[in-house]
Amino acid sequence: MVFFTLRWNWNVDRLREHVEFILPTESSFLELEQFLIDATMEVFNSMVFIEVVPETSGKTEVLAVDTNLISCIGLAGDLKGVVAIHCPAAVALEITGAMLGMDIEELGEDCKDAIGEITNMVAGGLKTALAPFGSNVELAIPVTVIGSSFRISGLASATRVFVPFGTPCGRFGVELKYIFS
Amino acid sequence: MAKNVLLVDDSSTMRKIISRSLRQAGLDFGEIYEAGDGQEALAVLEKESIDIVLSDINMPNMNGIEFLREKGNRPGIKDIPVFMISTETGEDIIGEAKSLGAIGALKKPFTPDKVNEVLGPLM
Repeated sequence: MVFFTLRWNWNVDRLREHVEFILPTESSFLELEQFLIDATMEVFNSMVFIEVVPETSGKTEVLAVDTNLISCIGLAGDLKGVVAIHCPAAVALEITGAMLGMDIEELGEDCKDAIGEITNMVAGGLKTALAPFGSNVELAIPVTVIGSSFRISGLASATRVFVPFGTPCGRFGVELKYIFS
Repeated sequence: MAKNVLLVDDSSTMRKIISRSLRQAGLDFGEIYEAGDGQEALAVLEKESIDIVLSDINMPNMNGIEFLREKGNRPGIKDIPVFMISTETGEDIIGEAKSLGAIGALKKPFTPDKVNEVLGPLM
């Protein structure tokens, strides 16, 4: 898939000379990062009601969030890869409690289900953001695992976007690993 | 008369949020039933008196599109209205859902106000 910008009143030949391809380039990375931030903010503002603030990010940054729960959803179509949310236990408990309107004390099925649904909605937001560019993205069913020291491997040539978010109860991370086809 | 609602979503969290949103919106409804996928939803529809279904699309076992198609083949339940609540917003998949009888769609994430605005007239 190709994204491009064009200017008004340019003919086809001139267009061919000046089409600015922005994928896969650094600017496409920045756009996807912003799409990921916007999708995450929309979910938290609409359905979680916890204040979250995106922090400095970078595609070469080492995972900088302690993770006790990770939720992943596979992407297929024009954008192949995975969207994942990394949560330390305290943040997962706080987010789940806020979504359900009750205190959650155990990192268990409620947390897996709630963070999985957030991951699903973030991936859906990314899909919606890409649709106007003619990109078709298919979403799988989210999978959530409780444990520690997670790392997503595979997709050897994939680009990685990782955005940490600050909350009153700690940080969590939203990750996108992708390949455009 | 208050309507009985069937919520179909593989996420129990989302079913609770939709249920809470309906209550917070002050909408007049009767019983709320729940199902985790299309197969479970068909079983509930065959057994209970349901007036409206609020269904996700992306679900394991039987997704929302397959559910609409199968429901449409069952004379006793085919006319029960279904409203889609999903992260899927593409015209192709929403168009397919509507062609199979869905009466509308609400995008996730949503606010309680949006639930009231969109689902209020249906209740």
